[in-house]
Amino acid sequence: MTLLEVRHITKRFGGIVALNDVSLSVAKGEILGLMGANGAGKTTLFSVIAGHAAPTSGEVLFKGQRLTGLSPARICRQGICRTFQIVRPMAGLSVAENVRVAALYGAHALRGAQVGARVAEALAAVGLADQRDTLAGALTLSGQKRLEIARALATGAELVMLDEVMAGLNPTEIAAMLDTLSSLRRDRGLTFVIVEHVIGALMTLSDRILVLHHGEEIASGTPQEIGRNAQVAEVYFG
Amino acid sequence: MSALWPLAGIALALLGVAAPFGGNAYATGIAFQVAMWIALAQSWSMLSATTGYISLGHAVFYGIGGYVAVLMVDAAPFPAVMLVAALAPAVFAAVVGLPVLRVRGPYFVILTYGLAELVRHVVMRIESALGSFGRMIFSAPSPDALLWWMVGLAVAATLGAWAVRHSRFGAGLAAIREDEIAAETLGVPTARLKLLALIASATIPGAVGALAMMRTGYFEPGQAFDPVVSFTIVTMALVGGTDSVRGPILGAIGFALLSEALWSNFPQLYMIVLGAALIGFVLFVPQGLSGVLDRKGGRA
Repeated sequence: MTLLEVRHITKRFGGIVALNDVSLSVAKGEILGLMGANGAGKTTLFSVIAGHAAPTSGEVLFKGQRLTGLSPARICRQGICRTFQIVRPMAGLSVAENVRVAALYGAHALRGAQVGARVAEALAAVGLADQRDTLAGALTLSGQKRLEIARALATGAELVMLDEVMAGLNPTEIAAMLDTLSSLRRDRGLTFVIVEHVIGALMTLSDRILVLHHGEEIASGTPQEIGRNAQVAEVYFG
Repeated sequence: MSALWPLAGIALALLGVAAPFGGNAYATGIAFQVAMWIALAQSWSMLSATTGYISLGHAVFYGIGGYVAVLMVDAAPFPAVMLVAALAPAVFAAVVGLPVLRVRGPYFVILTYGLAELVRHVVMRIESALGSFGRMIFSAPSPDALLWWMVGLAVAATLGAWAVRHSRFGAGLAAIREDEIAAETLGVPTARLKLLALIASATIPGAVGALAMMRTGYFEPGQAFDPVVSFTIVTMALVGGTDSVRGPILGAIGFALLSEALWSNFPQLYMIVLGAALIGFVLFVPQGLSGVLDRKGGRA
């Protein structure tokens, strides 16, 4: 079943074409990886899907419903949540309070005792349960990236878009993050779209990979196919 | 439930402060001032302490409430006057809110100040075009009755501020304060919540303005919309501390008493002290008096 469908999205910023006629679809339970050099349009694509940027043309469908033109909050309540490459912790609130906002206002908009249960569950899923009362601003970068994921989970999103959650982490932290993501997918059947510069992680996690270059799709396929693709190798390694 | 106890205590304390002064005109005046500033600072905190959108224009709500009340008071029963005085600034907030709340940080501060000044000058123009240079109020309730109304508003504003902070609504407003983009990504309807907070924050100041005009016995637009009202509210709330509902109460009591002590003997000094205290607290005690008390309590 197709969960997310992106149809012919073009996004121009003045004279610059950030995305040029990009289409993709993601099935329920799938992990789609997005690859591409800096400026390839990956984060712009996230912003268009999540409602932070309006596309110049094209449309985004989620479970067959048109999302284009909805506010980010409405899109979240439909069941899509993104994380940010440059993390956005609510620094003055505790870790648990950050996640509580997502449980209260997200797709499930929980009330009463369900809120606390959801917060505890989301924190446990990313390994932040011990730090629930720490101020979010006092977490390490790795902790703040986990918090981004915990908040996305707590909204009740079916589709989670992760923007470089590995960037800036050390190899141990990357291994831990890979475990976390694999178990989230296995245990909850969540669907992910992942942007990642850590190519090894992307290859390990993704069912399919789509490669963007200067805002255009240049290849898509399984990680093995992408690994063998001559054009991708040329764009990446020159 | 235990969190209700401090509130009950505050409400009782206010009543206790007010009750014995029924006959003493000077004490009634001080109690009226204290209750007035508590009501104003608590109302301000419903928007500005929760969302971080610092309003420097709350005098506009106070002034609108006062103006409406003065126009009505000789013709309508007093509770009706109070109701309209509270609703008029709420309607005004609802109308201007969406465009005003699109800007943040220093731009919002300047915009609220500018808007309040604009309304002040418009009302001054209207009044002078009508040939009125101040209106006398002949049918004001007694000072004691006004005091009870004001204490009621102070309690209502305190309970309101407490309820906002401890609700889902308040959690959404705190998220907006911390990171508005993250908040909307997590499903918080930011524009709607900010507008509701502004409306909630505008209502009681309108009723306060009405009582203040009744108390002085006349209305003059330059005074009713005096920006010093806005400055004083912000100073009291910041000095008291914006982290809890205790803060505005501490700030309001502190400054109202300070003003009584200085006003009679050294009127110029009062504004200097107000300014110096604001600077000192912002620089050295950003958590305010309430935060200082918390730390003391933690150590003890």
